[in-house]
Parts: sequence; C-alpha cells; structure tokens
Amino acid sequence: MTMANDTQALLSVRGLTVEARGAGGRTILDGISFDLAPRQILSVIGESGSGKTVLARALVGWMAPQLQITAGEILFNGRDLIRDKAYASRLAGREIAYIGGNPAGALDPTMTVGAQLVEKLRAVRPDISPRDAQAKAIRLLEAVRIPSAATRFHEYPFQYSGGMMQRAMIVDALISDPALLIADNITQPLDVTVAAQILKLMRELNTEFSTAILFICSSLPVACDAGDEVMVLHAGRVVERQSPAGLVAAPQHVYTRALIAELPTLWAKGRDGRDALQVRDRQAIMSVRGVAKSYETRGKAGKAIVQAVRNVDFDVFPGDNFGLVGESGCGKSSLMRLLTGLERPDAGSILFEGEDVGTASASRLRALRRRFQLVLQDPFGSLPPQSAIGAIVEEPLKIHGLGTASERRDRARAALNEVGLSDAMYDRLPTGLSAGQRQRLQVARAMVLEPRLLIMDETLSALDQTEQGKLLDLFARLQAQHGFTYIFISHDLTMVRQVCSRIAVMYLGETVEVAPNERLFFDPGHPYTRALLSAAPTLEERRYRPEDSLLEGEPPSPIDLPPGCAFAGRCPYAFDRCRRETPTLSSRGEQALAACFLLDAHNTPVKDSAHA
Amino acid sequence: MSTLDTPFDAAQPRDRKIAARIWSRAYATVDFKIGMVVFLTLALAAIFYPMVSGIDPTKMAVSSKLLPPVFMGEGWTWARPLGTDQLGRDMLSRSLVGLRYSLLIGISTTILMVAVGAMMGLFAGYFGGRIDTVLMRLTDAQLAIPMIILAITILGVSRPTIPSIIIVLGLSGWPIYARVMRSAVMSERKKEFVRGAMVLGATDLRIMFMLILPLVLPPIAFVAVLDIARMMIFESVLGFLGLGVQPPTPTFGNIIADGRKYLLNAWWIATVPGIFLVLTLTSINLMGASLERARNSIYGGA
Repeated sequence: MTMANDTQALLSVRGLTVEARGAGGRTILDGISFDLAPRQILSVIGESGSGKTVLARALVGWMAPQLQITAGEILFNGRDLIRDKAYASRLAGREIAYIGGNPAGALDPTMTVGAQLVEKLRAVRPDISPRDAQAKAIRLLEAVRIPSAATRFHEYPFQYSGGMMQRAMIVDALISDPALLIADNITQPLDVTVAAQILKLMRELNTEFSTAILFICSSLPVACDAGDEVMVLHAGRVVERQSPAGLVAAPQHVYTRALIAELPTLWAKGRDGRDALQVRDRQAIMSVRGVAKSYETRGKAGKAIVQAVRNVDFDVFPGDNFGLVGESGCGKSSLMRLLTGLERPDAGSILFEGEDVGTASASRLRALRRRFQLVLQDPFGSLPPQSAIGAIVEEPLKIHGLGTASERRDRARAALNEVGLSDAMYDRLPTGLSAGQRQRLQVARAMVLEPRLLIMDETLSALDQTEQGKLLDLFARLQAQHGFTYIFISHDLTMVRQVCSRIAVMYLGETVEVAPNERLFFDPGHPYTRALLSAAPTLEERRYRPEDSLLEGEPPSPIDLPPGCAFAGRCPYAFDRCRRETPTLSSRGEQALAACFLLDAHNTPVKDSAHA
Repeated sequence: MSTLDTPFDAAQPRDRKIAARIWSRAYATVDFKIGMVVFLTLALAAIFYPMVSGIDPTKMAVSSKLLPPVFMGEGWTWARPLGTDQLGRDMLSRSLVGLRYSLLIGISTTILMVAVGAMMGLFAGYFGGRIDTVLMRLTDAQLAIPMIILAITILGVSRPTIPSIIIVLGLSGWPIYARVMRSAVMSERKKEFVRGAMVLGATDLRIMFMLILPLVLPPIAFVAVLDIARMMIFESVLGFLGLGVQPPTPTFGNIIADGRKYLLNAWWIATVPGIFLVLTLTSINLMGASLERARNSIYGGA
C-alpha cells in the first residue's frame, strides 16, 4: 500500500517465480512483473511451454501440486494474494474470474446451463433471490448474444454449440461482476468467425462492465486484436510489453521479432502463380460426387434428421495438397468419416482410385485402407494409451499381415526415423511425448503402410505455430520422398494458405466453393468464403472487412435447414432467389467453382464439366 | 530401478518390454515379495507336505482325537502340529489338502465367471444395439435368480462333484462382470484411438481383443482376485448345506462346517482353515495390489 502505483493498478505482479518441485526442478516462471490497470485488456502471448497457463492459474491460486511459488507477490488492490490465502479464496470467483479453454469440460453436463449460472451467483452472493439471479443470468446470456436466451437458459450444455458454451462460460465468469477476468486461451478451440465474435464481445463487455481482462493466447494476431497492450512471455520471463501496433511495427526482443517474422500470412506475399503450375490432365485419386449423409437424433421434440453432409463435390489429384476448410459443425468430421469408409454415405459416390469407398465390401474396404490413411486430430486420445511406441507403428503391418516380425520391426523403426522420432523410443510408452511428437507418431503409423493418400483431420490444430511449421516441413519432405497426396481438413486458413494447392470451403455440410489456392484467397467466389477470410486472425491489412462480409449470428441448425441457400441468413448480399432456391457448384473458369447466385450476374453457370 | 525414472531424452541402455518393466517394478516392492513368499510356501506345502509327511488326511485315529495345536493346551504333540479334529485326523494335512481343493474351486470358478462375464460385456458393449439388448436381458434374467437357489436346485438334482460345483458357482456369478465390462467397453469404444484402429483396417474382433480388452481387463481382474475368496466361502456355504464337496475329501468349507460343532472345546478345527484362507488371500492380494500399482505408475508415465 506504500507505493503510489500499487493503489492505481488493479493487479500488480512483482517478481513472481514458480518452480517445479522434485529432482531437476525447472523454473517455470522467472521473476514475472507487470501491472494491470482497471478496465485494461492485457494480452499475454507466448509459445506452449512459456508458462502462460501457469501464470493464469497462479493468479487464481490454482497450482498443480508439483508447482510451487518460490518468490514474488501478487498484489490485488494492494493486498498480497500469495500470503493472504483467506483473502485470495474470498476473491476467487467474485472479484477474480477465470475462463479456461475447454468450455465443454467446465460445465456440469447434468445440470442446465441456467441452473449452473444461478448456483454460481448465489454461492458468491447469497443475498440475491433465485428469481433475481435468474433474471441476471438471462440478461447476461443476452449480452453475450445467445439467441433466445430465456429458453436456452433451461437447456443442458450438450445442447449448446462450442461457441455458445464458451459464451456461457463468459457469463459464468462475469455473473459475479468481477473486477478482473482471466481468459486462458478461450478462442483457441473456436472457429474463426465465432472467435472473432467472442473477441468483439470481450471488448464490448470490457466497456460495459468495466472489467479488466488478462487475455492469454498463443496466436499473435488474436492477441493483438484483443488487447490494449500485448505482453510477450518467453521461457518464463516477460520479454516485452507494448501496444499491439508498436509490437508489430517495432518489436524489441529477438523472440518477438522471430515470432512476427515466422508468422504465416494470407495475402502479404502476394500471388506467386502457384495456381498456374497445377497440371490437371491426370485422373483424380479421389473424386467425391453428390455425397450426402444424415443422422437421426431423438430429442424431446421427437425424431429429427440432421443433415450433416449434403451436396459435396470435389476431386483430389495425385500429388495435391487438398484443403477442406469450414467452421466446426459444417460437416468436416462427418465427411472425414465418409471418406475413410467409417460410415457409408446415404447418396453419392466417393471414388478412390476408381473404386467406390461408400459401397465397397468390408474386406475390399480393408484392402483399400492400405492405400489411404487418416491422421486424427487429438494427439492424446488417438493413440492407444497402453501400447509401446514401436507396437503402435507395427500395428498396421500386423493388421494387414505384412512381413515377418523382424521385417515389421525394421519398417517401424524406419518410419519412426523418417518422422524424426528416435528409434530408442521403440519400447517406451507414448505417455511422455509432447503433442507434436505424438502427431509425428501418428504420421509414422499412417505412413508405415505406404499409402497413396493421407487424410489429415485437423492434425495440426492442437500444436503451436513453431511446431506446426516443423510438421508442415516434415509433410513436404515425406511428400517429395513418397509421393503422398494429402487432404488437409482444417479450420486454420493460414495453414491452408501455406500448404494447399486446391481448397474446398464447406458450409453446413455443403461445399460452397472449390478453387485453387490463390484464386480462393484473392478472388473468392462465395460470400461465405469472404466472411471466413474477413475473420481469419492475421496482422495484415485485410482484403475483406468483417462488417461487409458477415451478419451477426450463428449458422442455422442442420436439423431444420431453411429453404434456399444455407448461408442466406448471414449473407449481406442475399436476395430473394437465395431464399427460394439452392445454388449448386458452377464453374467460374480456371478450375474454380462456387455455389452462389451472385455469380450468375457475371457468367452463365456451366454445369458439371466443372471439375476438370 | 532408477533408469526407469529417467525421462525420454536421456541416452540410456535399451528399454525393456513394458510387461517386463511392470513385473520388475512390482517385484521391487516389499509387499510383492512378502506375498510371493507366503503364497509359494503355502502352495509348495499344499503340494508336497501331505505326500512327504506320509500322513493321510482322511485317516481316522479316534484315540488321538481333538488334540490341540502345539503349546495350545493339554496333550499336544509335535506329530500333530496343528492338532487333530473330532475323528483324530491331522489338521495340518487336512488344511493343506483342503487348500488344494479350495484354491482349485476358487480360482477356476472366478476364471469361469470373469471369462463368461467379460465376453458378454465385451460383445454387448462393443456392438451395442440389438446384441446389447439381448445379452443384457440375459444378464438381467441371470441376476434375478439368487445364486444359492440356483446352486441348491442344480446340485440337489445332480451329484455335487467338484467340476459341477465350479460350473454352478461360475455360471451364477458372471452377470456383475458383464455389467461392469459392458460399461467400460462402451466408454473405450468411443475413443479416438479405436476409430484410428478402424481406419488402419483392423477388424472388430482385433479391436475388441487386442485393443480394448487389455485396457479394461486389469481393473476387473483385480476385483476378481477378491472374488476368489468369495467363491471359496461360497463353496463352504454349499458344503454347509451338504451340497459342497462330499466328505471325506477335505475342503475349507467342510472342515469349517465340521468344526462349528466343536467350537467351544476345540476351536482350532474351524480356526486353522480360516487362518490358511486368510494367509492365502492376503498373499494373493499383496501381489495383486503391487502389480496394479506398478502397472498404474508405468502407464502413468514413470
């Protein structure tokens, strides 16, 4: 209370040091000091392992048992939270709120969202009547733009989409009117358009409720978008703190400079003419025509049909890096299950090297699977937890009965070496591997069969930028050596822009646009593509402004789709015809296709010939 | 053991197989060694003592009936270290032979129970839908019939031989395992790595037996060890009702049943097999618990 700036700053961290206990105890945070003024938004950015999350949790007094605060103080309104535990626990959830990056895990699945919010509020403020608490919760749910908040209040978390759950978590944090909100990686699991809305929302709430926000994230563009100031954390130290504009224009620290330099860009490098290099006179390795799949769900309202995938059309050529982008819930994962034969389509055909995956017999499908493989998204869930690394890589060979035991061993070792894992790990468990190493292991498992086509289902989305870059290099090297064809299923536009030669954009189960890379990014044919591009996190000058491209709101439910174009409800250019008829993919010339009536104004649709 | 604790990056001598690491880690604990020593002593004694000592466990000697164990009262003798029963039969020899039969019955019953239950649960949980419904209704039906009534009915009609006792006890105990197994399999089945295996081209049977079963079986096997004791006791319950193993073949069940009548003046008849029962089960549990701990710590990343 002695220093003048202590009374000004809401939160003031001085020399905070956190160490891991035990032998070889590492220093996780090394003398972190910073101030956060009331109503300020401070973005904290750093790669994984830089101590961001430990910092966030240290502030709310939530430390993993093996971690220990060894020095420093955390002053909140001038009182030290580390020494004054009682004060700290009184503040937690009231004055200091915390939102984590996993909304699905943070909400209790057995209670309605509303009941949880009311319970939280009344635990903190017992004097508020249940009725008032409910009114406040609904008001806040409206404030975070949850549609028909009064009804949604009574719904269970599983009825919410990912973006809505994250909003509900924000309400949960704000309901007790905290002075400080710590948002730990809240936009990472969200789609770009939803994440952009959440960011906008955070800023509005900051003005409306005068909450100071510590916004922790691992993406520089998002951090710059969100914060008044950006603080860069590297190896447990604060290396730099600047305003976003200053940081981008004149980074002080070497690490920040490297971070900015290696940031992939969407448009800054301009066109390099890679579209022109593509040869299209070969037979497609995978060709998808009119694929549809619907699921039946049973809810309170009786049976409903969810149209997860419909009207999907595209071709993948040998040696291509084909990108498939779209927001979550757009049917990417359902489509992945269809492409890999895990499920059969209701209609349409999926031809892989001339054979239909959708109708192949079980044994035929097993044979086909030697030639196309899938690399899954979740680095932790997709490896069998109790198999040794070598056994995991050998498994596909065993399944297909290839080679003798020693041949299998040699091939597995070779595959491990190729993806950059040491074959000394052969008999170890994957338990100690990092996310990046696990994804390498998954790639090794997929490529040991020497497939022709690898489907990457959000394989890189769990990794940080540096690790992503390394894996992309690996993919390129493997492609050069083995002639793989890749399908990247992703919501990360910058990644797709870097590596893909041809890209399909999906919206609500449909492919709305299929175009070569540069055509898509510089001359998108569908308003939805433009909306996606406008929301992509980037530091560059945007070619498309969010205000012009996307109306507020979330995609309609795939259960009762409106007639006409599915995007019409959010499209600023929609006109009458869009709400009556459904547009189909039609050629825009030069191998670019889009499903939009606006194109008719410019050129006449050429049906079918399309995919050549 | 310290090499096992070093993290991945250290250059270390070649790693051993995971199963070997689990065993050696379990073996390093005191619990496991104690359990193993006790169990091996009991097993060796049960196998060799009746033969080596030349004492027939069914040989009656009315003149030396109801002798107490050594130092435990009047008239004890080193020739009968654990005393004799009401017919003058040697308690040590009887208990050790009883241990053979009780272990045989306990272990084979439990194996049968777990095998049937695990298969039912595995198929029901993995395939779901109609198969699940049929198998689970079967399980419910089985659960609805009390074990003892089933045993009385079957063993009362047929002759109560050891194989028939094993089958009756085994077939009445499986529903619990089926239930537990089914829910464990259902939760594993939804995991990503199962989907991964499918895409690799693994057949359903391969996924079930090579991937899911090894994951869900160990915790169940751990519970099953406790059930060995329960089954030994159930055997004695049957013996008590006269439906167990028929005299003169000694089992823990019928020794204890016999000893009940003499509890006041010859407490050792019922107590000695009880002590053997406790020792056997404790030793098995000690080994089981250290194995389970070793397994958890190895798979937990140590």
